[in-house]
Amino acid sequence: MTLVVWAIAIVAGLSAITSAAELDEVVARGDLVWAADQEGGGPHVFPDPADPRRLTGFEVDLAALVAEELGVKPRFQQGQWDRLPLLLGRTADCVINGIELTPERQRDNHCSRPYFAYSLQLLARRDGPIDSFGRLAAPGPQGRWRVGVLTGSAAESVMRSRTDLEVDVIGYDGTIDSLEQVSAGVLDAAVMDDCIFAFYADRFSRLRTVERPFAGGYYTILTARDTPKLSAAIDQAIGRLIADGRLKALFDRWDLAGRQQMLMLRDAGEIPVARAKSLGELCRDSLPLLLKAAGMTVLLSCLAFPLAVVIGLAVAVGRMHGPAWLKPLLTGYVEVLRGTPLMLQLYAIFFLLPKIGLALPALVAAIVGLALNYSAYESEIYRAGLKAVPAGQFEASLALGLSKWQALRHVLVPQAVRIVMPPVTSDFIALFKDTSVCSAITIVELTKRYSVLALSTGRIVELAVVTALLYLCMSWPLALLSRWFERRLERPADGTMAEG
Amino acid sequence: MITVSSLTKSRAQIRVLEDVSLVSDEATVTALVGPSGSGKSTLLRCLNGLETFDSGGITIAGHRLNPGPHTPVQLERLRRDVGMVFQQFNLFAHLSAIDNVTLAPRIVLGHSSVEARARGLELLDRVGLRGFANARPATLSGGQQQRVAIARALAMRPRVMLFDEPTSALDPAMTAEVMDVIVELAQAGQTMVVVTHDHTFARRAASHVVELAAGRIARQGAAADVL
Repeated sequence: MTLVVWAIAIVAGLSAITSAAELDEVVARGDLVWAADQEGGGPHVFPDPADPRRLTGFEVDLAALVAEELGVKPRFQQGQWDRLPLLLGRTADCVINGIELTPERQRDNHCSRPYFAYSLQLLARRDGPIDSFGRLAAPGPQGRWRVGVLTGSAAESVMRSRTDLEVDVIGYDGTIDSLEQVSAGVLDAAVMDDCIFAFYADRFSRLRTVERPFAGGYYTILTARDTPKLSAAIDQAIGRLIADGRLKALFDRWDLAGRQQMLMLRDAGEIPVARAKSLGELCRDSLPLLLKAAGMTVLLSCLAFPLAVVIGLAVAVGRMHGPAWLKPLLTGYVEVLRGTPLMLQLYAIFFLLPKIGLALPALVAAIVGLALNYSAYESEIYRAGLKAVPAGQFEASLALGLSKWQALRHVLVPQAVRIVMPPVTSDFIALFKDTSVCSAITIVELTKRYSVLALSTGRIVELAVVTALLYLCMSWPLALLSRWFERRLERPADGTMAEG
Repeated sequence: MITVSSLTKSRAQIRVLEDVSLVSDEATVTALVGPSGSGKSTLLRCLNGLETFDSGGITIAGHRLNPGPHTPVQLERLRRDVGMVFQQFNLFAHLSAIDNVTLAPRIVLGHSSVEARARGLELLDRVGLRGFANARPATLSGGQQQRVAIARALAMRPRVMLFDEPTSALDPAMTAEVMDVIVELAQAGQTMVVVTHDHTFARRAASHVVELAAGRIARQGAAADVL
């Protein structure tokens, strides 16, 4: 345990060494690097429909104005939305991307004075049952209502804190993923900033706003804690943009009710700063959540892998002994699944299948996706295993009057399975770690839970060590099992009655 | 019991068998001899359909084989009546001796485990290996493995047994133990065809000898006359 604490301390110390660029460096360099996520980022930051190589959005205009005030040029840096603050001091000077001003963000970064007032809006299908918040207070016909939000957003924390509602809150990595899923009937409702839905409303004509916006706050520009001059310069820049009407004009240009924005920015109050947790508190609060997420990791692996093995074996046998017309189909199956990323396959199963009427729950989609992807690799291993069984075994089976399928079932496959046990066990460990990709389709497994906790508490390093240890605790026994299989294979086996 | 008439087979434009005809009666042992590459193993493998042929015909244990590919059903029926023992034994590596012997009776003939096991132990006893019923092939000597392979083939109660150089992979001591088992089978009236290089063995076990050279029959007749 002492060792763990030391490891945490050392890594934490190392991570503090890098420092962010101060104002004088930014000015000397001549550009202000601002980070944002252009994926589904309207009206904030998104590719210009007329010229997708160009970015547009009200925050692109804002970044240009702020940079101009600093006497430099704006330079865009792409990042995953919920991880944008991690870029500060590394590849970005500031984050301008609908970042809500919260006590936690005040604790971990410097937050500029507000530049935009947002409200949260509940959204549902026009033909669906959700017509008021009251509906969410009692369970629906299928139990708790399923509500999608953007991971790490104020919408997520507000909805998770609403214990008065019978809702399961599901986090998505893209802003409009939840709108797609409500449209497809996978989710019952979604909650997001009203300006985002206003921007995409035409594309999602099946959705409607439910009641008036119910909560809100302010967007802020994030800078690193150790660049006070840069932070102050940005604050002053926003002040000047508000004072001389350029910010109002910008909002009016984007149809964002400039006059009302100005009133709300004028009356913005102070936001409190959250207190940092002690290491003890951190472990007490995080461990139960991490352990539960580790359970999801185990569940995914233990359900997906046996499926992958069965499918893989069937594909291998089909490719080697099946009818001629089947072989190119199976070869295609293997090459397509091996040759495309697991992430893309999961996206296709989860987000595209609902469009043709096949909406799978996230857990089922994850298991199917992992099983199909790994079945391609397993089939190649089993093909090698079947080839490694001496040809004489097959001939001897045929000479005894066994059919081809009986020979496969009783002689070839049992031997191939023994031969490939070590690589298959090793693949199980690989799949076990690959389950983290499933977070892309809203599954909260160990890596995702780590990411959420690390970003909400700011304790990136400490929690990383704990998470890595949890992974090791689970994969180490698998490695031992793999070695045990290998030893068992090398040892000349003594007599046992096999084959029931 | 076995009639081969005008059998011809080519492989990559080389004649492997040319106009081979022979007859083998019930309860006789036919030895196929000749130098390497003379086609004797190919002829044997044609007899249970592991190889196809181009022209001529084979009748064996009441089954008729024609030129060209055979149907799976035809082959499965044929092989219930024609057992085979290989030079490299080919015991099922993942199964014990007794499981090797009982596998085919259980899944091909549908015998119960108990029935198959009783008969399997009897056969292992017959080849002198009752005490090794639970041993894995890898722990047995070559001679022991070949005797298990003979028991395995006998378990199907074949009307004809084919042996493909059954002692070529064995040292003299082990050759003797396998040869004793085959000679005992011959005395018990089992119809057999044996491919061998070993003339002592052929003289001792065979009633009829067929000598092949370059895919043709060079000589055939009573063992005493040919050898």
